[in-house]
Amino acid sequence: MKIEGTHEIHSPPEHVFQSLTDPQILQRCIPGCVSLEKTAEAIYVATMKVGIGPVKGTFKGNVRLEDMQPSSHYRMIVDGKGAPGFAKGTGDFNLHENDSGTAIAYTGEMQVGGVIAGVGQRMIEAAAKMLAAQFFNNLDKEIGSEPKTVSEAV
Amino acid sequence: MIPAQFDYARAKTLDEALTRLAQNEDAKILAGGHSLIPAMKLRLTQPPLLVDIGRIADLSYIREDNGQIRIGAMTTHYQIESSDLLKKICPLLPECAAHIGDPQVRNKGTIGGSLAHSDPAGDWPAAIIALNAEIVIVSKSGERTIKADDFFVDFLTTALKPGEILREIRINRTNGRTGQAYVKLHHPASGFAVVGVAANLSLNGDGTCDRASIGITGVAAKAYRARDVETALNNTKLNIDTIKNAASHATDGTDTNGDLFASAEYRRHLARVYTQRAVSAALDKAK
Repeated sequence: MKIEGTHEIHSPPEHVFQSLTDPQILQRCIPGCVSLEKTAEAIYVATMKVGIGPVKGTFKGNVRLEDMQPSSHYRMIVDGKGAPGFAKGTGDFNLHENDSGTAIAYTGEMQVGGVIAGVGQRMIEAAAKMLAAQFFNNLDKEIGSEPKTVSEAV
Repeated sequence: MIPAQFDYARAKTLDEALTRLAQNEDAKILAGGHSLIPAMKLRLTQPPLLVDIGRIADLSYIREDNGQIRIGAMTTHYQIESSDLLKKICPLLPECAAHIGDPQVRNKGTIGGSLAHSDPAGDWPAAIIALNAEIVIVSKSGERTIKADDFFVDFLTTALKPGEILREIRINRTNGRTGQAYVKLHHPASGFAVVGVAANLSLNGDGTCDRASIGITGVAAKAYRARDVETALNNTKLNIDTIKNAASHATDGTDTNGDLFASAEYRRHLARVYTQRAVSAALDKAK
């Protein structure tokens, strides 16, 4: 499944880039993130407690940041596992300066497996978009602006 | 497929259920159990406590009070499907109920449970929005009423807060020339709506549309009101062209979702086609 969208934030690209690669800020922004620890340069171990409606699960996973071009681009590689299933994904984030601050354009490719994919296939896309929206809403609160997300799955 | 261990409490009264619910914020209400129990068997959800409200006597009813239809949360899909009163005064509800799942689901599943679960492809949310219903919610601190439009918040998420129970659905009876219809493309395996459209029309004496209410399910993260379709229908003389034009706005401003069975683009197409069919069917019934 592919997810892409843009999100505008009222803050300069340098600050946004710094925030998006700051483990402490990421932990507060990733929905349900209980812990995010740095194990090596640009490699983190995360624990997430995700609850969407009746589905609740704890996921453990690795987050790796690659292709870092400060204040313009980076790639995030995630793989996680929990009782309801597993997820792997790669996301590219491109930051552009605009009138209101920064436009974050993201494209991601995600694979989901296990029970959650078997029985919840029809719901995965909605769930992924909801988590993405929550992430950016949290980021808005961190950096201090109004939420404005447009996401589109293709 | 065996669920994880959980505690079970059968409440005899609504007050007892609310007390139990207040003791554990991860507790889940067990109504008909036709969404919750399958999720528990797959261990997708593992609530520590189930509070069964199935034996509370006064939660299952269909009645009319001063022009207002009242339906108790524990009323089953089958009770609604077979209600002579509803067939007469609010035929959208029995028609919608007949589309839900299979006989077992309709005999055990409840309207309150279905609404509280807010499955993005559930049938009731579309009908409840099209009927401009109100939902009555109770908690330890009292009762509140919320409009159907405000009840569905996001994917599997409603305005219900921890400690609250959905108690009743209220619908104002419409008089005059009205027509209602629910059309749906069933997913061949699950029976859920790939797309489901509920249309509720009030017509003026001259045949123009006085008020159109359209609810759509299956397309987005939650059921929604198709406002642009309603605007295009209101104060319009309804015919195949005006209906087709209005239906072309079925997914305006909506973030649609795809899955392996139907892509987002296909769903948008289906939404337009089924909206046209629902409005046409409602118009036929109003004649």
